[in-house]
Amino acid sequence: MEINYKVKRNLARLGIALFLALFVLWTVIPVYIVVSNSFRRTIEMKHMPPKLIFTPILGHYEKLLTLDRFGVYFLNSSIISVSVTSLTILLGSMAAYGLKLFRSRIGKRISSVLLLGKMVPSITILIPLFVLMNRARLTGTYAAPILALSCLSLPFVTWLMTGFIADIPQELIESASLEGCARMRIFRIIILPLLKPAIASAAILVMQASWNELLFSLQLTNLSTYPLTVGVARYVGAVSVDWGKCSAAATITMVPIILVGFFMQKYLVSGMTAGAVKG
Amino acid sequence: MKKNKTFELSMERGDLLPLLLMLPTLLVVFSVMVVPLLYGFTLSLFDVGFGKRISSQAFLGFSNYIKFFGDTTALKAVFNTVSFSLGAILGDLVLGTLCAVFLLKVPRFLSSTLRPIVTIPLLISPVVVGLTWRYIYDPRGILYWILGLVGLGIEDFPGVTSASTALLSTVITHWWQVTPFVIIVVTAGLLAIPEELYEAARIDGAGAFTTFFKITLPQLTKVYTVILLISGVDTIKVFDIIYALTGGGPNNSSISLSIYAYSQAFEQSDLSYSMAISFTTMAITFLIFGIPFIRHNLAKEGRG
Repeated sequence: MEINYKVKRNLARLGIALFLALFVLWTVIPVYIVVSNSFRRTIEMKHMPPKLIFTPILGHYEKLLTLDRFGVYFLNSSIISVSVTSLTILLGSMAAYGLKLFRSRIGKRISSVLLLGKMVPSITILIPLFVLMNRARLTGTYAAPILALSCLSLPFVTWLMTGFIADIPQELIESASLEGCARMRIFRIIILPLLKPAIASAAILVMQASWNELLFSLQLTNLSTYPLTVGVARYVGAVSVDWGKCSAAATITMVPIILVGFFMQKYLVSGMTAGAVKG
Repeated sequence: MKKNKTFELSMERGDLLPLLLMLPTLLVVFSVMVVPLLYGFTLSLFDVGFGKRISSQAFLGFSNYIKFFGDTTALKAVFNTVSFSLGAILGDLVLGTLCAVFLLKVPRFLSSTLRPIVTIPLLISPVVVGLTWRYIYDPRGILYWILGLVGLGIEDFPGVTSASTALLSTVITHWWQVTPFVIIVVTAGLLAIPEELYEAARIDGAGAFTTFFKITLPQLTKVYTVILLISGVDTIKVFDIIYALTGGGPNNSSISLSIYAYSQAFEQSDLSYSMAISFTTMAITFLIFGIPFIRHNLAKEGRG
């Protein structure tokens, strides 16, 4: 009996190890292939299995930067995602504090109603928004994608901040208030510093969403404001795909945000689990 | 009851500060979401293309919606979208739960190294993911090399090239990208389960499987509800992955509602029909998820 139990336990351990090893491979291989191919000669890409050791070349990146303006796209992606992130955090935390100040329960309801906006498919807003922005001559400006993407993230950020503000001990705010602090001063010197973790979570989630967004950017930007995702999408439609250029474009698009995500892993996790576990 | 005693931050009725603080957010949501929605719904009742304005001659009433239910491509898109949603979520849940449970069973140094690695796909843009997987599914790519090792060929799994497996290929790609989300959320859920429950099970002599099905899974119900809501709403809107991987083809076999609406607007220039398609998509989302979504939020409010 005793031996049988040990065998069983070791088998279970082996099974778990095997599953996890396979899962890590399945996760890593596609990323490895794209990144390594961006440094390979086009002929070497079709070589199966891929050679682990090869002389890296930078030719594909050179083409991207000189022929296809990927440097500009990179700048555009940065401008758009940083603006959207700052704007939504500023407006979202203000709105959440406003909700906190509301006397009635209606205030709390509003953040739930705003969250319903998450259920509206992007395509439903995109088409009329595109027509309206065209008339207002906004398409092709940075303002168009920044406004549209902010609107997509604002309900979530407001809701996230509302949850975190609700967790701040009431006594802390009261005592400041009794000492004669004005309400906006309370917001600046008490609430905002305590919201730092929430702001970090919102920042990585919004940054990720706006850096990676495609649908709105496809229609609301033009050659001078294209972000990276549109640059990548334009290759997808091509008749014959140049895999070297594609891999390099994909690498430029994904590596920065993966790095940011790595450094902010803790906040990424807490932002994603805020709704599921805390609530 | 206690509420009367607590200090109220807001003052008299005429107090404008709360509203002022919320105004910018409400303004953005109103002008970028509410106005386009109203305008879009109006468009769907007319026959309007690009460059044309709404005129009374072009009024169609609900005939764009009636057209939708007689349009085989549209019905195909509904079927595909729902299949994609179900297949994608089911796979994400099973794979993600297994991974989350197993990651908690290995030594800490190992799981803390592996967790950031397995979350990588979540950070990548869906359009890049689609492109990447197009390369994986290439007939001369790595997938068929691996399948070749176990004696399978392109005729056993034709991938994105055949109408029979194109949609499945997009679902598999979605598993790759979104399983980490389930891992993250389920892990948090697992860590929140009180240790005493497991101790009690151990004393009762329950095995690993019994413990998992009798204790772990029921304790995760709330976590699963949230995942279902978030993933459900997200998958019904699916656009990027399909756009980059198959473009909806071959022969519309992997077309989703968002892809169909997009092509009707920007390729056929039929704005009105496109809006009818996207409003139907929205209606489907609200029908399936609206009530659970509102209930979930209200329940949370009651507790908080």
